[in-house]
Amino acid sequence: MNPFDAAAFPALDRRAFLGASALLLGRAALAAIDDGGVAGRAPAPRPHFAPRAKRVIYLFQSGGPSHLETFDWKPELKARHGEPLPDSVRRGQRLTGMSGNQSLLPLAGSFTPFRQHGACGRFVSDLLPHTAAIVDRLCIVNSLHTEAINHDPAITFFCTGHQQAGRPSMGAWLSYGLGSLNDNLPAFVVLVSKDASRDQPLYSRLWGSGFLPSEHQGVQFRAGREPVLYLANPDGVSSAARRSMLDALDGIERAQQESLHDAEIGARLAQAEMAFRMQTSIPEATDLVGESDATFELYGEAARTPGTYAANCLLARRLVERGVRFVQLFHQGWDQHGGLPGGISNQCRQTDQASAALVLDLEQRGLLEDTVVVWGGEFGRTSYCQGAMTADDYGRDHHPRCFSAWLAGGGIAAGHAHGRTDPLGYNIEEGGVHVHDLHATLLYLLGLDHEQLNFKFQGRYYRLTDVAGEVVPGLLA
Amino acid sequence: MRPRDLPSLVLALSGDALPDFQREVRPLLADRCFACHGPDEEARKRGLRLDTFDGATATLKSGRRAIVPGDLAASEMARRLTTDDDRRAMPPETLHRPLSTHERDTLLRWIESGAKYETHWAFVPPQRAPLPDVRDAAWCRDPLDRFVLAPLEADGIAPAPESDRATWLRRASFALNGLPPTPEETAAFLADPLSGAHERQLDRLFASPRYGERMAADWLDVARYADTFGYQSDGECRTWPWRDWLIGAFERDLPWDQFLREQLAGDLLQNATREQQIATAFNRLHRQTNEGGSIDEEFRQEAIADRVATFGTAFLGLTVECARCHDHKYDPIAQSDFHRLGAFFGAIDEAGSYPYATGALPPPTLRLPTPEQETELARRGENVAAAETALGEAHAAATTHLEEWLASGATPVVPTTVMPTPVMPTPTLKEGLDGGAPGPSGSATALDGDHGPTFGAPPFRRCDPLTVRLLVHCPDAKVRAAVLHTSHFTIESDPQGFELLIEDGHLAWRVVHVWPGSAAAIRTVEPLPLGRFVEVVASYDGSSRAVGMRLWFDGAPVATEIVRDHLDGVAATRTLQVGWRDRDVGLKGGAADELSLFDCVLTEVEVAELHAPGALAATVTAARAVSADGAARALLAEWFAAREPVVQAAAERLRTARGAWQELHDALPELMVMEATPHPRPAFVLTRGRYDDPDRSRPVAPDGAIAALLPFDPVWTHDRRGLADWCTDRRNPLVARVAVNRLFAQCFGRGLVETQENFGMQGDPPSHPQLLDWLAVDFVESGWRVQALLRRLLLSATFRQQSSVPASARRDDPRNRRLARGPALRLSAEMVRDQALHAAGLLALRVGGPSVKPWQPPGLWEDAGATGSYAPDVGDDAHRSSLYTFRKRTAPPPNLLLFDAGSREQCLVRRGATNTPLQALVLWNDPVFVETAQALARRVTAEVSAEVSSEHENGHTALARLRLTQAFRRLAGRAPADAELGALEALWQRERVRYQADPAAARAVAGDAVAPAAPGVAAATETAPEVAARAELAALTLCCQTLLASDAVVMVR
Repeated sequence: MNPFDAAAFPALDRRAFLGASALLLGRAALAAIDDGGVAGRAPAPRPHFAPRAKRVIYLFQSGGPSHLETFDWKPELKARHGEPLPDSVRRGQRLTGMSGNQSLLPLAGSFTPFRQHGACGRFVSDLLPHTAAIVDRLCIVNSLHTEAINHDPAITFFCTGHQQAGRPSMGAWLSYGLGSLNDNLPAFVVLVSKDASRDQPLYSRLWGSGFLPSEHQGVQFRAGREPVLYLANPDGVSSAARRSMLDALDGIERAQQESLHDAEIGARLAQAEMAFRMQTSIPEATDLVGESDATFELYGEAARTPGTYAANCLLARRLVERGVRFVQLFHQGWDQHGGLPGGISNQCRQTDQASAALVLDLEQRGLLEDTVVVWGGEFGRTSYCQGAMTADDYGRDHHPRCFSAWLAGGGIAAGHAHGRTDPLGYNIEEGGVHVHDLHATLLYLLGLDHEQLNFKFQGRYYRLTDVAGEVVPGLLA
Repeated sequence: MRPRDLPSLVLALSGDALPDFQREVRPLLADRCFACHGPDEEARKRGLRLDTFDGATATLKSGRRAIVPGDLAASEMARRLTTDDDRRAMPPETLHRPLSTHERDTLLRWIESGAKYETHWAFVPPQRAPLPDVRDAAWCRDPLDRFVLAPLEADGIAPAPESDRATWLRRASFALNGLPPTPEETAAFLADPLSGAHERQLDRLFASPRYGERMAADWLDVARYADTFGYQSDGECRTWPWRDWLIGAFERDLPWDQFLREQLAGDLLQNATREQQIATAFNRLHRQTNEGGSIDEEFRQEAIADRVATFGTAFLGLTVECARCHDHKYDPIAQSDFHRLGAFFGAIDEAGSYPYATGALPPPTLRLPTPEQETELARRGENVAAAETALGEAHAAATTHLEEWLASGATPVVPTTVMPTPVMPTPTLKEGLDGGAPGPSGSATALDGDHGPTFGAPPFRRCDPLTVRLLVHCPDAKVRAAVLHTSHFTIESDPQGFELLIEDGHLAWRVVHVWPGSAAAIRTVEPLPLGRFVEVVASYDGSSRAVGMRLWFDGAPVATEIVRDHLDGVAATRTLQVGWRDRDVGLKGGAADELSLFDCVLTEVEVAELHAPGALAATVTAARAVSADGAARALLAEWFAAREPVVQAAAERLRTARGAWQELHDALPELMVMEATPHPRPAFVLTRGRYDDPDRSRPVAPDGAIAALLPFDPVWTHDRRGLADWCTDRRNPLVARVAVNRLFAQCFGRGLVETQENFGMQGDPPSHPQLLDWLAVDFVESGWRVQALLRRLLLSATFRQQSSVPASARRDDPRNRRLARGPALRLSAEMVRDQALHAAGLLALRVGGPSVKPWQPPGLWEDAGATGSYAPDVGDDAHRSSLYTFRKRTAPPPNLLLFDAGSREQCLVRRGATNTPLQALVLWNDPVFVETAQALARRVTAEVSAEVSSEHENGHTALARLRLTQAFRRLAGRAPADAELGALEALWQRERVRYQADPAAARAVAGDAVAPAAPGVAAATETAPEVAARAELAALTLCCQTLLASDAVVMVR
């Protein structure tokens, strides 16, 4: 069977899709203002080949979750607890300035047990019981690797494909490449947990549009009265008054259009109309009141508190239901240089149930088959202890050479595991997946060839995957 | 799989005109071929290069030739372009950029016609072309118009009619002041009957303080100016004095060559002024990190690369950064060129990160006293000088005194047996160092490198003399080890205070503000002895100079060399640790004992006494002996002078004077600038651009720029000043063109070269090449005068054209490349906001000063976990020009970002101008726009007062029409058309009725006091006319809001 046969993907409603893209194409064409716009190729926003999924929910775990306490079970590391990291394993590779000067680099085994779960028998840590329960739906990657060793460059690399600022983010590329699936919500929405420990900051560049037109930048939805900045009318201005204003604007712009013949005028008016619709559609989308008790039970009680990771997972489902192309959650607090057992237990408690619930909820609603869900952070953590190691406490430094993530949903090889690290969880032994490879694979799932999705800027064709990246067949169903 | 029948193809093509190499052929070769067959030798496939004639026509290893000029059948390239064999076809499918039939035929015709190469237009110095002949010479107001009109006439296209004066004035006002004209200014211009009216308006606009601000606003993007460092913790970088220099530079109309020269190398100019040094902050505005664990060299190289890239983009219009990892794939920029340019910009004494723990700015910095502070600083400096002189005299007197005493054999006037007492309580220090290891005096502290004793921070200022004594046992030769220090170590630039370190086996002694750029440091010539306890004594005399620092081993002075001698700020202590430091390398396997600190400089004989009691008495005896040698006398003289009460009093006065000077100096505001270092680090080509892989066989020095553009003249200095000479030399093909194109774009919305950021082979060719060159040559020959060029552009017939043209004309030339109509552009983010504030009469006009924080939605900084919280300014600072809005790189002001303002994380020469729903939301709901709409409504209500009867319904309407018209004028710079006014009036009528029925809503929208009411009058007692007046004001406010989001206001046409 040809895996690219569109018929193999019943969820792909081609007409609906093309309808939506045509709509966006129209808007994009209108919006391509006739001055100063950065020159670039504006490909028609449609996939290069039949997609396996239409949307992505990226559960970004910021700070660098330890693979050794979550998905990469290393009994040998436990057995050699306290021994120095062998030079044969470190191989002279660089360490951060935080532990690089340490006199001793003692190996630290995971404090938490791992157990086999599901029909696939995958080992998952006891810290993640809910995720363990859906392991047959996940493809766990234990062989991710990255290039950066500090948070800022590493998370920038993960979110934009480059360590330095200035490149478009994943969601911006998708918005640019595929357009929107709806006409009253942004194509790319960002949700940041309010209940996370803010150990490492986030930067607007992580969801920025870089050199792409700024309409592709992620729109952050925030908990509270105003889910999107500037969404709420000021006191004394009703929706009816806003409508009335728009009608007047229509009259003014018609007059302007008649004398100037510039399509830009109509385009601006259309954007104002969409803004008006967003004033209704966004509060509707973000209001969880109508969700059933069963749903809250699934996601956990925390989902009733707006802005929590759990509430954001639920909101992410509501947003993809309404045609948002890319939802990226950020949950901070995974940077356990010290006090790792306590810290990571708390992180897992905050995120485990809702992450799993999201997958189950999407599945129940028939959305999982064409939605990709990704869970992971910007790097992993060292097999050795940073700082003081006591009987029940230790810490781990940043580790870019291997770390874990999971994927689920459309086109993903459910129940599989990909890649293998060495017995100490330090280096990759098999099936390495570079950040660029993961990006290429995600684009592939959405029907985009990462080598063709480019934008000419300053004389060069830029890609999310820079000049590298290979689709990883091992992740695909 | 045979190639197509070439002869017949050529026959079919032979009727067409020859392709233009610059405009048609090279762009194709560059885009489709150069990545594999271009200047980058490493990436070159099959040894074929198509960027030169010689390369393209050479016989390859295969025996074939890619191009045989004039002979398609013999040209392998023609074969590859036309084959049906996918494996052999060029460009390969994997490039994903196939040639269109027309493009392929263009290449074939070019080969057939002889494959002539020309140097890329932008790499040849511009020449002044003769002015073209035009039929309608009367249309032309400036020579530049001839270059525009001639091709239009050739194609039978008429330029657009001249726009009305109001339109021209609004355009010119935004181009030069970033604001619309006031109705009064427009009226005065319309009423000016004399010739030269346009010129007089430009005089006014150039003279306005807004001119410097508006010009600066654009350059801030290029300079990637922001108020924070960017990266993880994104602390404040306090660079606004450079921004004020920039405003002033434009106000003074600093010639462009000088503008460039001062920013690149102001510090290296002869008798550099403070302003010229400030200008060099241009090179320090890149992002910097202080994230814990960062590797300094990695980020030092990033900083250098950013400076080079910004230099290349801003002044050369080239993508120099593409040559960081390999030779440029399109342009003749070798990888060694990139790193050689890096050698110019890397020759400052910097760590690569900025301090985390101390909050100090990374050197080099320039202190910026006010004139009053400068006077006071000079006064205190004189006190220091006087105290130094007095100390010298006291010393001399003491020496004489000693000679007399020695000669007389009388009783000593100072006690000979009392040593200075350590200031740090010895018992604590001793107990802290007891335990674990056998030491010379009992029990020493064994060190594992990761742990060790920690004491409270010792009192210390850099004016305080200090001596440290410690027994150190170092077991093996260490590359680095912290022996004793007073600071934290998050990153390498963090340490402050004083410290003893082992570096490559030698002992280093430092007093530090920020390492390495602001420190005094010495190092032993010989290594520290290993395997035994060494009694280390280190002294510092409070002079902030390396010559005031000494080291002793086991009671004897050791030879040292000066490592750094530029201590320029506070050297505060935060702790006192021995043998270890968190995140640093400790003295693993070593031991320490007997720490003591003295608040004076121990003399040599005292150090000897510490090491071997009795040394002092022995020296006195020896010096008093009849046969005393000079050495013993000198030792004694040193000791005697140091302990003599008169000398000590003088030394104390010197310490006080220094302290007073430093107290003022070290708290002065400072600015990161460029300053050449005597310790430049060796620079190399970095393999694949990697910071940790310098190719030591390829050293680079600042002795050349990009030779393919212009060889480096031997008379130019090998520093940034020489680089500035290279840039501003008349033979430089790019700098003037790039500058002229930039100013052209400022007026016309688009450059003659549309890719302002790239004049290289992958950039767009100029729409009017001869015009660009003519303007560039004229610009240089007339002294690089910016205002003169802007004046010419704005007065030209080309600029005066209407921008509205029939739909067909717009369709034929959607981007107005022909310049057959006037410019139409969306206002920048800053202009959108400033215009609203200005129209409402709210814009605060103060120039310069620290950046301000107008209101932004609460919680944005906190949400992201960024450092600091955003405390909005109130009063005037909430209404300053957007130029002054505080720019936090990781959380930029959202209302500017949504209008394409960018994050200032890297150099940007051209912004997008998108059109999104979120922009409408900003204009409706951002409090600054709500507030301006309300203020504008009030303003026009006051301006158009109730002369018309307020009793009659039509009177109200007539008044409203007048007020709406006035609001329209204030925002759009013109009177509304009937249809526009009609739509607004209808809105006003609808909303007036609505607000009359809902007084609470009216109050919320219109604000409280409509007319001055008696204090304490409650709403319930309001009269009907008052309620009605508020409803009208509320309705008018909505009308103003509507206007703010309209095309007539957000576009300048």
